[in-house]
This record gives sequence, structure tokens and C-alpha cells, in this order.
Amino acid sequence: MPFIFINGQPYQVREDTNLLRAAQEAGISIPSLCDHPDLTPYGGCRLCNVEVKGLRLPAAACMLPVTDGMEVYTETEDLVEARKSILKLLLKNYYDSGNGNADKPNALLKWCDYYGVDTSQWTRKEPRYAIDSDPNPFIRVDLNKCILCTRCIRACAEVQGRFVWGLAERGFDSQIVAGSGVTLLEARCESCGACVEYCPTGALTHKPSFGAELPEKKVQTTCAYCGVGCNFDLNVKDNRVIKVTSNPNAPVNGVHLCVKGRYGYQYIQHPDRLRSPQVREYLLKGMPKPPAGESPWVTVSWDTALNLAANKLAAIKRESGPDAIALLSSAKCTNEENYLMNKLARQVIGTHNIDHCARLCHSSTVAGLGMSFGSGAMTNTVADIVEHAQAIFIIGSNTTEQHPVIGSKIRQAVLRRKVKLIVADPRRVDIAEFAQIYLRQKPGTDVALINGLMHIILKNNWQDQAFIDQRCENFDAFREVVEKYPPELVSKITGVTEKDLYKTAETLASNKPAAVFWAMGITQHTTGVLNVLTLANLQMLLGNMGVPGGGVNPLRGQNNVQGACDMGGLPNVFPGYQSVTNEAVLEKFNLAWQTTHADGSTPPLFNNKAGLTSTEMIPMAGTGKVRALVILGENPVMTEPDANHTRECLEACEFIVLQEIFPSETSHYADVLLPGVTFAEKEGTFTNTERRIQMVRQAIQPEGETRPDWEILADLAKRILAVEKRRPTGSHAGWDYASAAEVMDEIAAVTPIYAGVSHARLNTGAQLHWPVKDLNHSGTPILHIGEFTRGKGKFHPTEHLDPQELPDAEYPFLLTTGRVLYHWHAGEMTRRSQGLLDVYPDAYIEIHPEDAEALGILDHQQVRLSSRRGIALGKALITERVSPGLIFANFHFAGEQNGNNLTIAALDPVSKIPEFKICAVKLEVS
Amino acid sequence: MATPNHSYALAAPTLKNLEKEYPLNVPEQKAIIDRILETYCDVPGGLMVILNEIQSRVGFISQPVQEYVARVLNVPVSAIHGVVTFYSFFTTEPRGDHTLKFCMGTACYVGGTPQLIQKAEQILGTKTGRTTPDGKITLEVCRCVGACSQAPVVVVDEQLYGRLRPSKLPALIREITKASSNSSGE
Repeated sequence: MPFIFINGQPYQVREDTNLLRAAQEAGISIPSLCDHPDLTPYGGCRLCNVEVKGLRLPAAACMLPVTDGMEVYTETEDLVEARKSILKLLLKNYYDSGNGNADKPNALLKWCDYYGVDTSQWTRKEPRYAIDSDPNPFIRVDLNKCILCTRCIRACAEVQGRFVWGLAERGFDSQIVAGSGVTLLEARCESCGACVEYCPTGALTHKPSFGAELPEKKVQTTCAYCGVGCNFDLNVKDNRVIKVTSNPNAPVNGVHLCVKGRYGYQYIQHPDRLRSPQVREYLLKGMPKPPAGESPWVTVSWDTALNLAANKLAAIKRESGPDAIALLSSAKCTNEENYLMNKLARQVIGTHNIDHCARLCHSSTVAGLGMSFGSGAMTNTVADIVEHAQAIFIIGSNTTEQHPVIGSKIRQAVLRRKVKLIVADPRRVDIAEFAQIYLRQKPGTDVALINGLMHIILKNNWQDQAFIDQRCENFDAFREVVEKYPPELVSKITGVTEKDLYKTAETLASNKPAAVFWAMGITQHTTGVLNVLTLANLQMLLGNMGVPGGGVNPLRGQNNVQGACDMGGLPNVFPGYQSVTNEAVLEKFNLAWQTTHADGSTPPLFNNKAGLTSTEMIPMAGTGKVRALVILGENPVMTEPDANHTRECLEACEFIVLQEIFPSETSHYADVLLPGVTFAEKEGTFTNTERRIQMVRQAIQPEGETRPDWEILADLAKRILAVEKRRPTGSHAGWDYASAAEVMDEIAAVTPIYAGVSHARLNTGAQLHWPVKDLNHSGTPILHIGEFTRGKGKFHPTEHLDPQELPDAEYPFLLTTGRVLYHWHAGEMTRRSQGLLDVYPDAYIEIHPEDAEALGILDHQQVRLSSRRGIALGKALITERVSPGLIFANFHFAGEQNGNNLTIAALDPVSKIPEFKICAVKLEVS
Repeated sequence: MATPNHSYALAAPTLKNLEKEYPLNVPEQKAIIDRILETYCDVPGGLMVILNEIQSRVGFISQPVQEYVARVLNVPVSAIHGVVTFYSFFTTEPRGDHTLKFCMGTACYVGGTPQLIQKAEQILGTKTGRTTPDGKITLEVCRCVGACSQAPVVVVDEQLYGRLRPSKLPALIREITKASSNSSGE
């Protein structure tokens, strides 16, 4: 460790650092404008110039490596004079039209003040540039305040990896420009706001909150969009969320965020919010049920709504048995709420018919990885992978749009550490730009592709035989099947050249550890489980399991879809993946959740057969086998495949209780509407894609008469128990929770993988990845070290199978569906956040230029897609992201614009996940 | 709030989005650009050579060409735009048949370049950095050309004219235009 002298005082400092950072860490302030600890030093502003003994001229501290014995002076008279001159020169080109960001100090003015430079004397009196010169709805550009420190340019390049900002012209005319001098969005800006975050002067500010008053308080919480689990501060004034600001202490993301997290908060207090309980009029009048949506809503008290729901559910259970009721839990809600939903289903109603949207996204992952390793979650953390992986293989994940902050971290790994990135996706997704190898396999050929890679690896003896011998089983059976996938055949099935196959196999084999990432491109197939098993095979074959920088890493979609699975929001498991077929587990929960009737008898024990999946319960609601649905924060009309069929089923369902924050496409079919709250109005925890459990903290009071969802669930459960005259008698059978923290204590008591989780620990900064075995256990960031959860990792031989519906003469195009950066799932939240809608206002349908030309379709023209099941309308977006014959549509927009009107409910036989990614459609100008 | 008028996330412009007369849509010119890119894309620091060649052989480096080069070289377009706008040799619009470059070095500036520019703009009815509507003459400013002893200096194409006074400009411009019509008649 070098010893240096600063202003005559000795300091011991870190090696491999620059003088500015060393001084900062020693508590000595050296002025600087262009420096930021997250960004590479630039040496542009020259404010940090210092005098160093032995150097003839002052040197920029940010560019000066520390050396032992260095003698530095930071505030000599000459330096101060020079700094004043620099500040004056900057002010000569600086025009201030007012500060729109009250709680962020302006570094330029701060140093002027410090050195006594009179700003009123030196600043420009007239603006040089238009104020607010860019139409981006999130980022406000005022070049009059720009001091050319290039922090925005470096932030865009080094943090977000997008390279939108650049420096153009020279001398007096120098200015920052987007792309080739166009608007930010035209320059492919992703509106993440990183440039704003790093701007020292307010030349770039957050447009939606420009001019907002100072917040009364800032509440650190976890984002409610995707599964990355970013933390940020909700800024609150007068019980309103006025903006979102970065929090440097956020464990996953630091100060970085994506456009939805940073700017998509307007939905929280949107006028559309459901503010009081409502029931259909026919229920109050005791009339027969009219067709869905015809009986008007009547606003009622909580008592009326909950009693009505409790009585009706109890009656249906009495008449048709508990399995006539099915529950959809919510990956948008907290762990505590999902636990209660699971307890409501199993203890109160007595059915395993509980599922949630994980069925539609990663049920095949959970099933497949369970079979291979015994645990169906991401094995490594993002920070671990971006720091330690030598190669990253992304297959079927549009990472930069769906998990933007993870996407930017992968870009950083490629830029900083030259990690070898391989991307395989039928669409040329944005992250492919950073890939060393991009494979455009035909949709639905993933098993063949991976088997082909493993064939090459085995042929060349590149496998990790020691790992396989020690830690895996069933290798020979697997090897036999892979033998059948030589490159010639695989190339024919997948459309990937043999050369690329070989190059990919070699890259994976020679760059270890390698981490595999995947998302819906792998899971949403009739071969979803096979795809996952094949990727698990690949990682075992290469010995990439249980090591830093490796692993299988399914990126979970919703903020808390991992938690909703963990909490037993699945038909086959109690919380913590304790199987409903395991007698010991049944016994445990029978005791813990026991209730007793007035006559002293206890209800029948839980049955040992898994309940219905969401893709089964909705069709069964259509046939009357399921008479009632209890839905928490889901919108199945939008998100289930074959939306028209879903509508028919919900129409036929006798009784639907929906707990929601907005009226939705599904609320049209509901009979009782219970207004829940957003993440800003309640306490709880979310578990992110890395199995990291994080706090959600209440920032504002619930809107109107709404109540936190866990309170509503507890209230409903108590009322049903009262109707049935049952008393909770088991150790964890009661429903009198004073807080969400108490629910978490109960979760910990009955869920081994959450045994050491408590709000108290999380609130004192514990970073917990499950399994957390007890209150002293520090969690498990990397799974399967030394041994797999199931003991030995099991190779499963897998074979390529064709998708259910392929293009034909009548429906000649292959449709694949997905999401886009600016919207979130069924769109209830993002379509109520104005800026997001400004940027992406319509259901765009991606079409390849060749197809567009053949059909005479122009960019932005209205087009119509039809499949055997329905139609979807949208605007053409002509782009080479898709290949000829492939069409991409999203499901963010309601009604006729919903891509799920087209999709097919063909299910994976094991996990029952629908094949959202492949169906045949016809394309016409509408 | 203004609604941005753009195509969301168009990864890179497809050729179909470009104007007809742009070099990328003229097969001969595109062939030249492609040959340049092919020749120099793997040369370290090849960007400068490529831009130089395109400027010399195509005559200008328009926005779509910048984007095309960025895409082929896998370099951010913002970086290419930075280089193109930094060097006065590069232009983003077609130059006229002749270019008048006014030296803005200190000696020339003090010696009267601003007055010369003002006069030239007045005679030609165009602005510095632009080309006359007939495509004959482009006005530009440049950095010191190293002929300070003859300040103020104007460089016409490759030819240097020193100690120029605003009153002499009309004749000079007439001369250039005449030479131009002569040469175009050949």
C-alpha cells in the first residue's frame, strides 16, 4: 500500500487508484466536475489539477496514478487562481434559466461559490441554445447549462452501453449531440436516464419531475416492474409520489435504473384507480346472473363486499366441494400476500387449485431444473456472473428490453472485461449487437441447437469429464441421444450454419466459467421443459454448475414471480416447494394450519393430488367444473393464450372475485371487485430473479378506501372461516396479523428455505438469497456448490419435436409474441404512465422488409393479423430484427390489438405452459 | 408534451428509409463506399481512412452514410458523427464545384476575415457552411493554413489568395464562376 503526502500530511492509500479517488477516500476534497467514481476518468475539466513535487506543471489528479512517496499540494495560491479562471471560462458559456431539480446540487455553482467566483458577473445573459431542445418525454436537454464534462457520454457508453451521446463540432462550437445529430429517441436512446443521473449541472434533467418541489421524505423500496429487483427512492410530498430517484445503496442496480422504473410511476395515483369495493347489482338484489358485464357495478362497503364473497364461496364449496373453486395468485404482489393466498386456498377453502402467471412464463423452468438439479431457480447472482463469467450464453431472452438493468450489466461485462457473449434468438434482439456470435435459429428448434453444440463438444472431448463423473448421473443415456445430432442435421433443422455451430461450441468449451441466461424464448414452447433440460445438460457437460460466473440463469419476468412460486402459489407445492404428494409435508401443514369446527371435529386432511394449473382452471371454468375463481392482481384475458377462448370461459364462470388496482379487461367478467393497492402503499417483500429477498416499504397512504392486499385476504379468510364456523387451532392457523412482518415470521416458521428471513433482518441491511436456513445463516447466493439439491445432477436425454402449429398455405407466417421495453405485460400500469405511452403508443407488429415489400405494406401502416383463433390489429414496424416469414407482436394493448387473440393454447405436457412463441398467422393490410 | 415522431427502436435504418439521391441509393456510389469499407474495416484506426476516402470519392458524408459506416464497423454513430464534425475537411452535405475557405487563424481574423465572409455571403446569397443554390460555390471557414504573412487568406479549392480585401471579392468570385462554366463546357 503506497504512502503519499497530501498537503504535508502522510496518508496510506489503495494501490491501483488515482490521486483524486485516493484523496477523496482520505477525506480530502479536491474540486472536480468531470469525474465520477462510476465512470472512467476523463481529465477534461482540469479543476482537479494539483501540484506534485517533481512535476513542472500542475497535473489532473483524476488522471494521476498514486505512487509511493508522492508529495501533493491541493490548494496552493496558484491552483486556486487557475481554478477561478477555469470556472469563469465555463460561466462565460453558461446560461441558467432556473433549477428544475431542487434536490440535486449544481456542481458548477457549488465550486463557484466555494472559490468566490461571482456567477452573476460571469454567466451569459442570453441562451445560446434552445432550452428543452429534445422531444424525449423523460429527458430534458438544456445545452445552455452544459459544461462539456462528458459524464453523460461516458454514462451512456459505460453504464447503459448504448453510446447515444457523443461530442460533436470543435472549439467554441463543441456540444453534446445524440447519435448523428438527431433527437434522442431517433438515436436509439432507451430513456434510462443514466445521463441525467450523472449530469453535474442540470443540463440534463428528468422531464416528468422538472420543477417538482422538494420531497418531504424519500422511501427506499423495490421496483414493481420486472424481476431484476432494482431499489430506488419514492419521493413523497403531501401523500403523493412526486418522483423516483436513484439510491446509491441499491444492492442490485446502484444508481442505475430503466425507463419504467425511473419514469413509469404515474399509474400509482392514476385517476382510474379502483377506490372502493364494488359488487354487481344482481348479487345485491338476489337475481340470477345476467351475461357478463351487463349488471351494473354498485359501490358498497368492505363488509358487504367481503361478506358477499365469503358467503358465496362457502356456498359453492358446500355444494360442489372445495375443488370447484380455483385461485389465481399474483406475481405482482408481495411474498406475504402470496403466502396468504396459498393459505386461503389450502387451509380455508381446502383446494390445491392455486396457480399464478409463472405458469405462463417459467413453469417449464421450475419443472425442468427441478428434474435436473432439484431446485428450479436462477443459480447465480447477476453481480457474480458479470464479474466472473468468461462467457455468457443468452438464448431466448431479449435481455436489454425485458430485464434492462441486467441487460446493461451484461453489456458492461462485454465492454469492460471482454466477456465472450453468444446470443441465440430467432429475433435479432438488441443485445445481439454486443455478441461475438449471434445465432438466428428457427423458432422452436432449441433442443436441436443445444444438442448439436453438445455433439460437437463431445466429439472433441471438450466436456468436463471429472465433473460429470463425480457429480452427475445418467450420462451414457444422454450421450447416446446427442450422438444423433451431428452438425449437418442440426444445421438443417435450425438454420444455423455448421461453422457457427462449431465456433459456438468451441467458444463455450474454451471460456469457462460460462453462464447461461434464458427467458421466454426457451420456456414458452410445447417443448419448454425439454428446452430447459437440454440447457441444464449443457451446463453439466461443461462443468459450469456450482461455480462463480456459471450456472443456469432463467430470468424471471415479474417483480415477484420468484416469490410467488416460493410461497406456494402453485398447485403442486406448499411454500418452499414442499410437495403436496409428500405425506410428511401434508402432515406438517395439517397440524400447522389446523382448524376446528364448533363440534370439535377438524376438516378433512389436505389431499395429496396436485391441483389445477391456470391453463387448466380457466378452461374448466368454461365447462362449469370450476364454479368460482378468486383472482388476485392478474389479467388472464390479456395474458392467457387464445384470448377469445379465455373470454368465453370467464363469461361462463359462475362467480369471480377479483382483487385489482385498476378496472381491467378481466374485471368486465368479475362479480366482486376488491380494490387493492400498489407497491407504494404497503409493506412486504419481493424476491427477485436472483432469489434475493428485498423489502417493499410503504411510502404513501392507500388511495381512497383501498386496503393493502394482505389485509383484504386475511379479512376474507376470517369471514369464510366464520361462515363455516371453524376456529383456527393449529400453530400457524390464525389470520390475526398486525403487520406484514408477522406474516413473514409465519412464512419463516413453515418454509425451510425462508427460515432465516425476517423484516427486521432485511431492514438492517441483510442481503439474503434463499435458501436462508436460520436467523444466523447469511443466505445462498450460488446454488449447487459441491452438491446438487437433489444429490446428483441428472442428465435427461432430449429429442427435437416440431411445434404444434407451423405456417401453412392459409396462415403462411410464423408469429412469435413478447414484450417491449416501454411497456409491461398487459399494460395496466404502463398504459397509465404518460411518457411511456408517448414513446410507444400503438401495438406495433414487426415485419421483415422483404415480407413488407411483397405484401405492399408501408412502415406504420395499419395491418391485420389473423390466426385460426382470432385477429389482432396493429401498426407495421418494418425491421430486420425479425427474419423473413417471422412476425413479432406484443400483448400490451387491449381488445383487438392484443397479440394473445392469435396465440394457441398448445401446452407443454409436463409444465402445461402454452406455446406463446409459435403459431401460424396470416398478414394483411387492414 | 410533444409526441416524438419517430419509429420506435428501429435498430438501424434500412436502405428503404433513405432519400433517392443519397449515395447509398445510387448503386455506383454505394459500391464505392462498400469497397472502401471492405478495404479498411480491419485496419486499426481505419475509421479516419474510411471517412477520408468517402469524403474524397463521394464528396460528402451524410447522416445516413455515417449510420451505415457505424453499422458496418460496429462503432457508435455518435463517435463517427463526432469525428466528421470535428474535422473541417469532412462535410455532411455535398460541396459545390468550388469551395472558398476563409482562414480564421488569428492573423487572418484580425486582418479582416469577418468582413470578407460578410461580403461573400452577401454576393452569393448563402451562408458560411452552405452551398449556393446552383451548386457552384461552397463557403467555409478553416483553421490557420500557415500563410499568416499574407493575411487575410482565402483558399479557393487548392489555390491560395492572400491580402484579400472585400472590394476584390466580386472579381474573384466572377473568375471562379467563369472557370467553372468553362470547365463544365469541356
